[in-house]
Amino acid sequence: MKQLIKRELHALWHDPWQLALVSYIPLVGIFGLWWLFSAGLPRQLPVAIVDQDQSQISRMLVRQLTASSVITPIHYQDINSAKASMEKAETYAMVVLPFQLNRDLLTGHQPSIDIRYNSQYLLVGKLLSSQIQLSLADGLKSKALIKQLAAGVPMAQAEVNLNLVKTQISALYNANSNYVVFLLPPVLIALGQLLAMLVFANSLNRELRLNTLQEWFALGTRRVLWAKILVYTPLIVLQGRLILTLLYQYLGLPLAGEFGQLLLAQIVMLLAVWLLVLTIFFLLQDSARVVSFCTALFAPAFPFMGITFPTQDMPQLAQWWRLLMPSSHYIDTHVGVVSYGQSFATFTQQVVSYWAYLLLIPVIVFLARRVKRMTNSITVQPSGSEAS
Amino acid sequence: MSFWSLMMADLKSIVTDKAIAITLFGGVLFYSVLYPLPYLNEVPTKQQIVVIDGDHTSLSRQLIRHADASPKLDVVGQLTTIDQAQQWVASGKAHGFMVIPENFRRDLIRQKGVTLAYGGDANYFLIYSAVVEGLMSVGIDAGKYVQFNGLLARGSSAKQVKHDLDPIKLNSVPAFNPSLGYTPYVVPGVLLLVLHQTLLIGAGILGAGQWGRAGYWQQASPLELILARVTVFALIYSFFTCFYVGFCNYWYGVSVQAELAQVLLFLVPFILCTAVAGVAFSCLFTRRDLPTQVLLLISMPILFVSGFIWPLELIPSPLVWLGQIVPAVSTIQGMLQLNQMGASWPSVVHFWWQLWGLALVYFMLAFIGVRYRLKAQ
Repeated sequence: MKQLIKRELHALWHDPWQLALVSYIPLVGIFGLWWLFSAGLPRQLPVAIVDQDQSQISRMLVRQLTASSVITPIHYQDINSAKASMEKAETYAMVVLPFQLNRDLLTGHQPSIDIRYNSQYLLVGKLLSSQIQLSLADGLKSKALIKQLAAGVPMAQAEVNLNLVKTQISALYNANSNYVVFLLPPVLIALGQLLAMLVFANSLNRELRLNTLQEWFALGTRRVLWAKILVYTPLIVLQGRLILTLLYQYLGLPLAGEFGQLLLAQIVMLLAVWLLVLTIFFLLQDSARVVSFCTALFAPAFPFMGITFPTQDMPQLAQWWRLLMPSSHYIDTHVGVVSYGQSFATFTQQVVSYWAYLLLIPVIVFLARRVKRMTNSITVQPSGSEAS
Repeated sequence: MSFWSLMMADLKSIVTDKAIAITLFGGVLFYSVLYPLPYLNEVPTKQQIVVIDGDHTSLSRQLIRHADASPKLDVVGQLTTIDQAQQWVASGKAHGFMVIPENFRRDLIRQKGVTLAYGGDANYFLIYSAVVEGLMSVGIDAGKYVQFNGLLARGSSAKQVKHDLDPIKLNSVPAFNPSLGYTPYVVPGVLLLVLHQTLLIGAGILGAGQWGRAGYWQQASPLELILARVTVFALIYSFFTCFYVGFCNYWYGVSVQAELAQVLLFLVPFILCTAVAGVAFSCLFTRRDLPTQVLLLISMPILFVSGFIWPLELIPSPLVWLGQIVPAVSTIQGMLQLNQMGASWPSVVHFWWQLWGLALVYFMLAFIGVRYRLKAQ
């Protein structure tokens, strides 16, 4: 076995791309994606303001908007230029303070403030919509308070009248709705899964490329396979550990559970990835096609994790496809450990959800035997040729 | 070898090479179904919540009924403590909860302030926002209901009361994607990215399999080979692009605002630029399994740098600059503005020129690369 592991390490050492995949590419990828989202909280997003009233109250409302950390008001003289700026994505929302806003308020009419937000950029748009409404409502409340006081309501009562029902909202497990906490873990897990898939597929493909399939079978199909698993699983788990270190130790994101469970869960996920890659490898027996097929399968793993769009709201077909992805099984454990601090019993239940991958084992055995027969029968000719 | 036969030879090797054909024809079709698949229900509805009712009065029960009636919420149980509610959330049985305090109705009627507490699982932002939005509107309505009745009882007219409760109307309306659906949000950008990636992969595998081997490509000059290859890929991708931008956008209910001629005009440099970039990119490889791997790893970053998921203002500027060399980035930005947000041609024309500029740069790179690869044999 020692020799077989040496054989794998030797192969790894002599394949620059493979070496890159287990060394600097994950580093660059993890760091780059973190850098991309490092702002964490959306701040100072440009919002177009069209102040047609130019009154004291409209200016007060604009000051309210300026005070919000999310909004940077940009003044436009007319609606058309504000609209054009929204179409060019220079601003993500637009607030129109109508002509005679102040007068209508004083004379007991009901003016209406128009807010348009860019829902093509859904995340930004929804956030701005709620923040603009909050800011404006808050500004208007101070006006209403004065009105109540003028009508002779005592201060304490007037404040209560305005906020009869107060609300206290808790964002559980991500107290300040930080996008680094929300988006970065699943993105990095998706990246990790892609890297794992590529590394293993390359390791298998190398046998095809260098025409060593026969050597593999001669050394013992299973033993070589175990050697590959023993070499690459720790290497990939190391990347996983790096991701966890960055997220929960360096960045200090909240972590309710323990690393141990997560690392175990990563190993289980990797074994599932290996099984999928093995099936495809023995089925297709052509390095470019194996990679293409694996890519097609694993590339869309991120949307199917159910973090950005909830699983239960996906169509049934999407939910089935989701179960095909090892990362969607893993993410359940990840959220469970990180947020809920789940027990080991829950973890065992989650591991059981991988059971369907075991069905791949007989398929792999069958396919591998077929490949072995074919390789042995055409001993002279190169197997798994690169030809189209 | 004539230009025409060179093109035919390229076309033949694309169609007969299983790895390329699967990526191009299979990939384009497969992804047009798979990427939008999770989002087909557009908006999350009926999120399970639990209620902790400390009041047990007619008003609190009405509040719960209203919460249950909200399209965003589904009340699945009533519990007694917040700890229990957290357990439900942790086990996935519920995604949020509402706490109705003791003496809720009594305090409201006596004009004392009350506090409703909401919690939502912020591991899933879409669920969280659905839960909070749903509960907020229910809570505000309950407060208004009590105020309305109180003011009516004190002798104000119904019209006056309504006005007093809402002195200003905040009319907040989504623009460009009126349903707030997830498919119109994700699909137009992602489909363009799929076109870009599959084209680069296809051209990459084709080139990587040919350099250093003997074949028809050696009988052509680098310039001829590049032009023929770009023409072939551009022709194939014209069909794919029509299918994606024409049919898929329509099929998935994406709002489409631009004129046909403008969309066509905008996509011409996209296809050409990506095809040239593909040929240039292929010169980096001699192993057929590598182009796919490289593109796979950079596809998520490209998607995020395009700026429709995470706003460009928040992305560090070096990353944004780096993104400018990728044809897909300016195409996605330009197409979203032109076609989805209805921007005028002059306001997106700089993306168009950028694509032509990139095409020129990649053409020079392709020329250098192909000449090197053909000479090296």
